[in-house]
Amino acid sequence: MLDAHVVKQRAHFRIDCRVTIDSGESCGLFGASGSGKSTTLACIAGTEIADDGYVRLGGETLFPPQRPLHERSIGYLTQDANIFPHLRVSENVRFGLTNGARSESDAWIAQLRERLQLVSIWNQPAHAISGGQARRVALARMLARKPALVLLDEPFTGLDRHLVRELLSTLVSWQRELRFTMLVVDHEAEILERLCDRAIVLEEGQVVQDARWEALHADPATPLLAQLLAPL
Amino acid sequence: MRLLGLSHFLKGNLARAGALFFGIVVLYPLAGLFVPVGLWRWEGSGTLDAARVSISLTALAMLIVVLLGTPMALYVARSSPRERLWWQAVLLVSVLLPPLALGILISLAFGQHGLGLFLEQFGFSMTNTPLAFVVTQFYVSIGYYVLGSIAALDAVPRPLELQAALLGHTPSSVFWRITFPIARLGFAVALSLAWVRALTEFGAVVITAYYPAGLPVAIWTNLENFGLPAVMPLLIVFLVTALPLPWLAHLLAQRRSTQRA
Repeated sequence: MLDAHVVKQRAHFRIDCRVTIDSGESCGLFGASGSGKSTTLACIAGTEIADDGYVRLGGETLFPPQRPLHERSIGYLTQDANIFPHLRVSENVRFGLTNGARSESDAWIAQLRERLQLVSIWNQPAHAISGGQARRVALARMLARKPALVLLDEPFTGLDRHLVRELLSTLVSWQRELRFTMLVVDHEAEILERLCDRAIVLEEGQVVQDARWEALHADPATPLLAQLLAPL
Repeated sequence: MRLLGLSHFLKGNLARAGALFFGIVVLYPLAGLFVPVGLWRWEGSGTLDAARVSISLTALAMLIVVLLGTPMALYVARSSPRERLWWQAVLLVSVLLPPLALGILISLAFGQHGLGLFLEQFGFSMTNTPLAFVVTQFYVSIGYYVLGSIAALDAVPRPLELQAALLGHTPSSVFWRITFPIARLGFAVALSLAWVRALTEFGAVVITAYYPAGLPVAIWTNLENFGLPAVMPLLIVFLVTALPLPWLAHLLAQRRSTQRA
């Protein structure tokens, strides 16, 4: 179970966001651009440090005090793919595996390689692949370790629509199969609705609604949320 | 149209000819190697001894510079902007100190009225000894190495290191598998600058370690005592030991940055 309360001062507002997700469940963090979603996610991941609050995962306290990043079982896909340019694609994907786990993970890595369409670029240097390919490599690298908590920050930016459709169903099936807890940030409700049953809505750092999608559509808490959910 | 093309052609070639002239001006001092100065005198010039002293003691100084300077560069590169500014100010002092002044300050600070008394209790002397030579070289080069290494580390995106840590790698593993491979050419450039700075240092070394005579001091004494024929062999060895390493490191670093662009 993820239980987090992130408090962090931003330039124009203060983020005060509480997130609770049961183990194996998924939840969206939804709101307009600049509402504090990505910062909240970064504080839960540990790459940014909150001013106050707490982060607990599966009974372990990750903050405070700040637990070192390498001791967290968290997969974090940021808006930039952040793949390691000096390594090959295959080395990137296997980067998080310990020596002992490498042979055990072979079948899983093969599945990631196939489903994320990495076969043709598997042995290429990472600096030579396209932006869309880099995001798929980053997704494979993150899932290779089978983390307990998966944090996705606009995971499908820069990908073709047909690939997004395919990845959405793949990710949902992996989430059900591996039972990882998932928190996804996006400003596109359509994507979040495919990945999560429920969403927490942020406006200027404050939670304005925490409900299932049906409830959000039926009774949006604020005019801005109603606008964000309205069809184009 | 034809006139416009001719004008572009002339402008382009004029610029290239100007750049060529500039290159010749920059490299012109090397023409001195071909000026007749009489038969080069190898015997008694002390070339091999001076080269051995310079290369071995500079290598030792560089080892210390790397061992102490790299963690410092890592610390400064990852510190807050305010703290970083303070440390850079400290490092700049070591870079900007005039060599002669630095030599005098080292000989005073490590002399009989400074740390020298303490060192002599353990049998170390800081006057005209290999220790004095290495310590002086450390001081003349450490600022260059650390500042250069900070610049190399700045070229490594911080999110890559954070991502590597989240993938289960300890700080030392992140350094060796991510930071160092990406920054290694920058480190090489920093080290080569420090190397050439230390190897070619004359002003500070002549004050603290006239003996054992390294290449710069040997060149000076040979020039004074025997004239140019005894200097030329030393000069060749001096250029061969000082130039290629930083030259290659800079070229490789430039090539990599051009390829990335």
